[in-house]
Amino acid sequence: MNMAKTESMVGAGRGNAARPLAGRSREDILVGADGAGSALFLMAPALAVYAVFTLFPIAVTFWLSFTDSNGFNTDAGFVGLENYRKAAADPILWQSLWQTLLWLVYHVVLAGGLGLGLALAIARLRRSQVFFRTAFFLPHLVSLAVVGVIWANIYDPFFGLLNTSLAAIGLGGWTQGWLSDPSLVLFSVNVASSWQGFGLYMLLFIAGLQDIDPSLYDAAEVDGASAFQKLVYVTLPGLREVMTFVMSLAMINGLKGFATVFVMTNGGPFYQSELITTYIYRLAFQSQDHGLAAVLCILLSVLAITITVVFNKWRARLRR
Amino acid sequence: MMKMLLRGAAFAALLAGAGDLKAQTLKMWGPEQITEPLIAELWKGIKADFEAANPGVKVEFIPPTGTISNGAVQAALQSDAGPDVVLTNSGIGRVTVVKNAKLVAPLTAQYENRGWKAKIYPWLYTELNGQFGGEIYEVPDGLDALGVWYHKDMFAQKGWAIPKTWQDFVTLMKKIDAAGVQPLAIGPRTTGSAGHLFGNLLQSASGTGAVGKAVGGKLSWTDPTMVTGAVRLRELVDTGLIKKEMAGLDLEGASRLWFTKRAAMFVAGPWFTANARKAGYDLANAGYAPMPSDLAGESKPTGGVGWSWLLPANSKQPELALKWIDFMLSDAVMKKRAQHAASTMIYPRELPGIEPPTPVLKDIFAAAAQGVGYNPSVYLPGSVLDTYFQVIQGLISAQITGEQGMAEIQAKMAAAQ
Repeated sequence: MNMAKTESMVGAGRGNAARPLAGRSREDILVGADGAGSALFLMAPALAVYAVFTLFPIAVTFWLSFTDSNGFNTDAGFVGLENYRKAAADPILWQSLWQTLLWLVYHVVLAGGLGLGLALAIARLRRSQVFFRTAFFLPHLVSLAVVGVIWANIYDPFFGLLNTSLAAIGLGGWTQGWLSDPSLVLFSVNVASSWQGFGLYMLLFIAGLQDIDPSLYDAAEVDGASAFQKLVYVTLPGLREVMTFVMSLAMINGLKGFATVFVMTNGGPFYQSELITTYIYRLAFQSQDHGLAAVLCILLSVLAITITVVFNKWRARLRR
Repeated sequence: MMKMLLRGAAFAALLAGAGDLKAQTLKMWGPEQITEPLIAELWKGIKADFEAANPGVKVEFIPPTGTISNGAVQAALQSDAGPDVVLTNSGIGRVTVVKNAKLVAPLTAQYENRGWKAKIYPWLYTELNGQFGGEIYEVPDGLDALGVWYHKDMFAQKGWAIPKTWQDFVTLMKKIDAAGVQPLAIGPRTTGSAGHLFGNLLQSASGTGAVGKAVGGKLSWTDPTMVTGAVRLRELVDTGLIKKEMAGLDLEGASRLWFTKRAAMFVAGPWFTANARKAGYDLANAGYAPMPSDLAGESKPTGGVGWSWLLPANSKQPELALKWIDFMLSDAVMKKRAQHAASTMIYPRELPGIEPPTPVLKDIFAAAAQGVGYNPSVYLPGSVLDTYFQVIQGLISAQITGEQGMAEIQAKMAAAQ
């Protein structure tokens, strides 16, 4: 770095106000002893917030996992790896882990798929696009707890909209116990959750579609490509970046699934819709076993980190 | 400068003084169903009376977001910004959870010092006193008595009656089913509702003595005496007398089935009068009977302490909270509540000369006068409750057998002990 040039740039840019910095290089200012101090000073509020609201809770959770804490006892005893042993031997934990992975897949496919499908359907509309975009995005503005209540009523086996509609159109044989059938319940609740989530993914896909060069469609048209071929060879490759982003977002949202399950089934019947998140809540706030709940929090974090790392590596490989 | 500082200090002192004069606020968790106009009217009256008797005190109700069973009370107490006094569903199972977490303060001394001991049934005091080695953490506000509710007009029209024996009860359910009506509605997504029916079935099949021993850990849940109730529930599901789809219903959904007369029977307690009123159901048409039993003298409601006052360990107004409990136990308030149309429970002491405000409550009081069996939802240790409720859901959704369900509960009981 040409120091004289830097000095003149700093001086010229700031006039008299920059006098105290005169004679010092950018490196001096930013990474020198004084600069580091200034940088730290400026970052301190953000660091403090990060430390208090992120690092400290992580550390406490980690510590709790080695104790017999019930969440309120200040004299929680150190129990070593006992909570980890209990977790490993807990069949409900493994069931909830498997169901969490299933939940994640359902969410990516249902919410992501619906978001993509609707984006493709309305992206070309000129006049009515704003209407449909708004209408489809509206569920995303409703809180998940409210969504849970709405869908629990839709699924009501005796009075619900779904079963009564099926019966009304002569498909009474298709009526189900949507929240009572062990093989359906997780999917049913996920539909409700995905219904709330697809609007955001749809907007992201629409933004992605708008970024695709229209001349590519013209070229495909000239080459005689069908609508399906344009979708496969122009649209989907053009959406690759958005798709990977939506997938990672959907996976993170999938892992965080809690509210709809909590409201609609509370993990039942007989743990068939239990997710790690709902099981953590059950352990921490119903059974007051904060030690075991902390182990599950760590497990969930490890799961989220693993999925993110693997997914990012896969994404990087796709780019190459 | 000094003058300014002094003025500042004087102003601060004035503010502090004003703070002392400021009204004290007692934050109360409860009551349930405060959004119902009749209940709101009753509680607003009680609040006004307390505030009038304690100048400078303001009572603030915190509408409950749940109970101890779903963790709502614990979450509120742990926030450290929660209530000063709590009215919630109680019983030893639930109280154990908050007691073990040190979220509630012991009240044993207050029973003597404030005369509470004389203000509840002696048997109730004995029961409370025996739960935590002599330490008491709750003050009963109301007792529950769960039994079978039915529609008087429907039963009269069809010539049905609640029989005396279990076999006859199954026969009745078959007749109801054949008439195109759901024999029995249940909403096990609401854990309490699941427990109401199951507790009744256990009582009917095993009797008070066996259930009492089982909830106290003195009899295995896998003992044949205890398993019968669970097997019966699964049989009712397998024969379609209780539809598997009920496993997807909550209390509200199941109540709707009953209120609209698409279901003939429902297991609930005196509090169900509030639900009925809210739904516009004619309470004069509600009948009540204990669950039939083949065991002599064992056809009786289940229940126990239904609701209690708890003092949070982190209450900002502990003295005021105790004063409030004194007030709630007073003759004036208890009689006012018992005679009010919003009355939904059995009170923790005898109230001579008080007539229950609805006919069905009279039936419930009469049934409870013969004695009340155990509702395990109230008596089971907190760490077992969740499994207990999940097992009931598992039975109704036909995922597990009665034997498997009871083995699950027993495993948790063993761990809890």
